[in-house]
Amino acid sequence: MRYLGVLALAGFILLPLVQAILLSFTATLPTDSLTEGTLGLMNYRNVLAAPELRAAMLNSLIYVVLNVALCIVIGLPAAYALARYRFVGDRHFLLMILVFRVTPPVVLSLPIFILFSQFGLVNSPVGIALVHCLFNLPVAIWVLESFIRAVPREFDETAFLDGHSGASFFFRHLIPQIAPGIGVAAFFCFIFSWVEVVFARILTVTGGKPITMAIQAMFSFQTDIGMVMAMTCLSLIPGVAMIWFVRHHLARGFTLRA
Amino acid sequence: MRPHDNRAWFLVLPALTLLGLVGALPLLAVVNYGFHDIFTLSDVFWVGPQWFADILQSDRFLASLGRSLLFSLLALGIQVPLGIGVALLLLTYGKRAVLGLVLVALPLVVPWNMIPTFWLGLVQPQTGLLGPGLAAIGFDWKFTGWHTWALILVMDTWHWLGLVVVLAYAGLSAIPPAYMQAAAIDGASRWAVFRYIQLPRIGGVLAIVFLLRFVDSFMIYTEAFAINAGGPDDATRFLTLELGEEIKGFSYGQAAARATLYFLIVLAVVWAFVAATREREG
Repeated sequence: MRYLGVLALAGFILLPLVQAILLSFTATLPTDSLTEGTLGLMNYRNVLAAPELRAAMLNSLIYVVLNVALCIVIGLPAAYALARYRFVGDRHFLLMILVFRVTPPVVLSLPIFILFSQFGLVNSPVGIALVHCLFNLPVAIWVLESFIRAVPREFDETAFLDGHSGASFFFRHLIPQIAPGIGVAAFFCFIFSWVEVVFARILTVTGGKPITMAIQAMFSFQTDIGMVMAMTCLSLIPGVAMIWFVRHHLARGFTLRA
Repeated sequence: MRPHDNRAWFLVLPALTLLGLVGALPLLAVVNYGFHDIFTLSDVFWVGPQWFADILQSDRFLASLGRSLLFSLLALGIQVPLGIGVALLLLTYGKRAVLGLVLVALPLVVPWNMIPTFWLGLVQPQTGLLGPGLAAIGFDWKFTGWHTWALILVMDTWHWLGLVVVLAYAGLSAIPPAYMQAAAIDGASRWAVFRYIQLPRIGGVLAIVFLLRFVDSFMIYTEAFAINAGGPDDATRFLTLELGEEIKGFSYGQAAARATLYFLIVLAVVWAFVAATREREG
């Protein structure tokens, strides 16, 4: 019974991925030298040979790294404040980040475009990294806050008694202590940012396209679906690596604080 | 108890500034646009609440609202119990559960615009892995409304089950073993353990799951549109599809008014939810 459940689950999750991986190794458009249906690495070769696809991978990596870094750096002090102190308006702040987390991107896409084009942030990975903070910063704060709260307060007090100032306490003591939390926060920020399309589409009109938009651009009158799948499979690699790195800490998750 | 110290605001300030810039400012702009007719950015006329009145009085809006609410209800109704079930199943595997978590998290890292392509490929009658079998039993997502619904729901479940499982598993594995041992000594049934120990202890996790899944399913766009563009015969025409049409048609004033309304609906649900949560916690 138990095995049946696991088997059904694995089948359900893997089936679409298996089809995509199979297609990525199949020639789907006949060329001079290849007939349709030939198996091989040609789709991956074509993807890696296309400069615009290589640029898209780089763009995606830049904006996602930038976004995760921003969320952690800005989220960490806020999470510490929420975990350790009460202050005027703390519950309002928590409610506010919840509201921003659940604001549908499509609602804000138009003014974001107008605002960002005035600052020259359209067609650049920096713009995407900034706007994804809208839904990732709240998640980072929630995750980090729950990890900091799990560290006993005496830990802070001992460090301060030992003569550590605020900054050296943060970097030398707190961050090593909650390293898994930073990993988990980075993971959740990554999964919401890497695959997002609404903001990524509106902010990359002519250039700076990330992977998602580059894939979109590959669909045409005669789509080489094998190549599309090869690009998609390549785009999964960083995500899968990310899942693998934090797998032992994933089970800490985050809870609602409002 | 945490000490009261308003200097903590200095630590929160960077986060507040960033969210103000990418969240509050655009939100104010969108509400403002909603009261204007916008031809170009320099050609803007005040129209007052006219767009809002138009939208609220149109039958299409109410029908789409009903469809979106039904979709959210079905998505939550399927994914939350299923996710808890999978998490409970994984829990029985001890350390090896990690592999299960990795497995269900895989769809979360697939680009959103490729998810419908995966599923359309899968059910494609000639070449899909499931296509020929589904075609044989008369499955036709193009022209039968509830088949389209089923396909979108299965796809959405595939996409988001991992999030529910990971968070539910996190909540369940945080329950101190002493609770379960006490229940075992009392001879509590499996159901009683779940109903009176596990479920109450994962309330905080389920709250976040409910809210995240509610907004994402309520505002589903990329995936649903790619499956059948709202068809057949408007059967899967959700709220966001109308917003997308207005933006594509350059009716920015109407689109902004509509976006404001959607935001208010989401806000109302979140607020009711938080109020209920706070009341329960006392």
